[in-house]
Amino acid sequence: MVFRRLSVWLALAGVLLTIATLWGARDKPMAPAPMELPPRNPYASTVAAAGIIEAANENVKIAPPVSGLVTKVYVKVSSHVQQGDVLFQLDDRELRAQLQTKTDSLPSAAARIAEQDIRLRDVEDQLQRLQSVKDRRAVSVDDVQRKWHEVEATKRELIRTKADLRLAQTQRDEAQAILERLTIRAPRAGTILQVNIRAGEYAMVNAIEALILLGDIETFQVRADIDEVNAPLVVPGSPAVAYLKGQTKHAIPLTFDRVEPYIVPKRSLTGDNRERVDTRVLQVIYQFEKPSFPLYVGQQVDVFIERELKDVVPFTKEKEKPAEKKDLLPLKKE
Amino acid sequence: MNFVALKMLFGDRAKYMMLLAGLTFSTMLIVQQGSIFWGLMTWSQSGITNVNAPIWVTDPNINQVEEIKPLADTAVNVVRSVPGVEWAVPLYKGVQRARLRDGNYEQIALVGLDSSTLIGRPHTIIEGRVEDLRAPDTVAVDQTGVKRLGGAEKIHLGATFEINDHRVRIVAIVYAQKSFQNFPFVYTTYERALGLTPPERRKLSYVLASPQEGVSPEELAQRIHAQTGFGAYTGEQFGWKTIWWMLENTGIGVNFGTTVLLGFIVGMAIAGQTFYLFTIENLRQFGALKAIGASTAMLARMILLQSFTVGVIGYGVGIGLATVFGLTAGSGGALPFKQTWPLLVGVGGALFMICSLSSAISIRKLAKLEPAVVFRG
Repeated sequence: MVFRRLSVWLALAGVLLTIATLWGARDKPMAPAPMELPPRNPYASTVAAAGIIEAANENVKIAPPVSGLVTKVYVKVSSHVQQGDVLFQLDDRELRAQLQTKTDSLPSAAARIAEQDIRLRDVEDQLQRLQSVKDRRAVSVDDVQRKWHEVEATKRELIRTKADLRLAQTQRDEAQAILERLTIRAPRAGTILQVNIRAGEYAMVNAIEALILLGDIETFQVRADIDEVNAPLVVPGSPAVAYLKGQTKHAIPLTFDRVEPYIVPKRSLTGDNRERVDTRVLQVIYQFEKPSFPLYVGQQVDVFIERELKDVVPFTKEKEKPAEKKDLLPLKKE
Repeated sequence: MNFVALKMLFGDRAKYMMLLAGLTFSTMLIVQQGSIFWGLMTWSQSGITNVNAPIWVTDPNINQVEEIKPLADTAVNVVRSVPGVEWAVPLYKGVQRARLRDGNYEQIALVGLDSSTLIGRPHTIIEGRVEDLRAPDTVAVDQTGVKRLGGAEKIHLGATFEINDHRVRIVAIVYAQKSFQNFPFVYTTYERALGLTPPERRKLSYVLASPQEGVSPEELAQRIHAQTGFGAYTGEQFGWKTIWWMLENTGIGVNFGTTVLLGFIVGMAIAGQTFYLFTIENLRQFGALKAIGASTAMLARMILLQSFTVGVIGYGVGIGLATVFGLTAGSGGALPFKQTWPLLVGVGGALFMICSLSSAISIRKLAKLEPAVVFRG
């Protein structure tokens, strides 16, 4: 009987141990909550895209009209400029010297005009006097005629000298204009995003890197890349929101600007010397005002563009149970 | 009458022990083998359970989780555009080589998590902070990694090693379910994983997605598949897909199935034979009972009572022993040992069959029994 009891107790112990072990291991661990809320679609139906922030009206890469040595840079990164403000100055010593020469030639031309003017008055006076003699015998016809020719020649000479002065003035103006070209000015108001040139460096006309990058960072725009598969789903003018990477608390409301009509290959910047092209994307441009939180040009965003419900490919199950449609597509309130 | 039956059973100590031993070891063998099998299956889908995402999106021809068929980067946004998707984030997964400071190489399973949300990160953090993965050149290593890559004195917070010639620093030690291949899991961010791995045209291994409220994962998976053409599975579906692939393409299923069947047959043989002998031996007593007016049905009930009593006790001891084996040999996840309710229920059913069959033979004998046997010698 002892053995019987022992076996029964052993069996009971075995069952209890097993139940305890299984109970202890029963719960599947819940997935840990995301560190940040993942970007979520606020619309009933959406076209999602990857975007990059740009300054509105694109960024301007400032280039010089001619290559030359930079003598002074007037702006710093993030300084604000108005249209026409000086950005940097190329070396202008040679042109300035030429301008000086041309400017200095003007007084002599002007003096020559004055000189010829006086001479003209003198010969005109002489001619008048010869003509005013009543007695034909006292003055020869030849003398009068000669004086008359002299007056006319002096008049023409004066015209030519005046033209010479105008030419000299124009030449001075030309030098001035060429000189002014060496002062590079802001083509429009904006903020300096990058300065890649310093005094003493040689500015090339076709530099690969922008010498100065100018953009308007009061209004930004987002360039949203949409996979060509989803390109037909985009309705121009649809509202959209963007979320900064890693900051999904604040949605940035976007206003539609335009759709780029040409589909471009998407580039993933891997840092590899050959960049891989994996797919083609439709680019849609949206604008937005500067939000209250810091945000930078070049930052990546997740974009959700609202999509019309009629475009949604009906799900087979929805067809069978149309009542469920509302549950399937709940509108996110936030 | 029942008392008499039990008295008869426990009275013959040798036979009782024999019966009990047969059933106990049969149960233990089936449970132990079944648990190891299920443990292996759990390991085989650890790539899925460790990440613990509602929906996995990848190439439609995927067979199992460790087989990577990468997608283009834009797939994340294509999935996000499917109605009913709450969120979708990228996941990198792949086997890479880690080079240790002593020059030794180890294969590792590199997992790249979405950098801002870290969705798919391990549940249990042993040491450090997994949030620190956002710092440059950082990784988190699992407990297997600590053991494999050189032990706790070499792999600790702040220690460095190389992945494909890129130096990485450990900021967290985590717990992850071991994988079938038993490569240590090394976690990092998705963007860094792309940088750590050799250039490839496509690198996005999986898109993890979650359904909005009111949409079931199965429904959404089906919808993602219908609208995008990608393969989309819930975590559970993908797990079963992996298990079926394992069963079809490895000998594991046949191997364990044979052992379980052998356990069943041996258990049945021992129990049936012993029980039959036991009945034969007590034939005179049964005859006497029949002579004093017990019906065959009553005798059958007695036999069944005896058989199920010993069966239940044998089952209890058997599963107890298997659990003890699991707790000792399989402690710390060294052995793939995982008991499940369905397995225990199944073994119970098998034991029920063994007991029923062996008592059926005895009952057949008793039915033909003449009460006169008691007077025959």
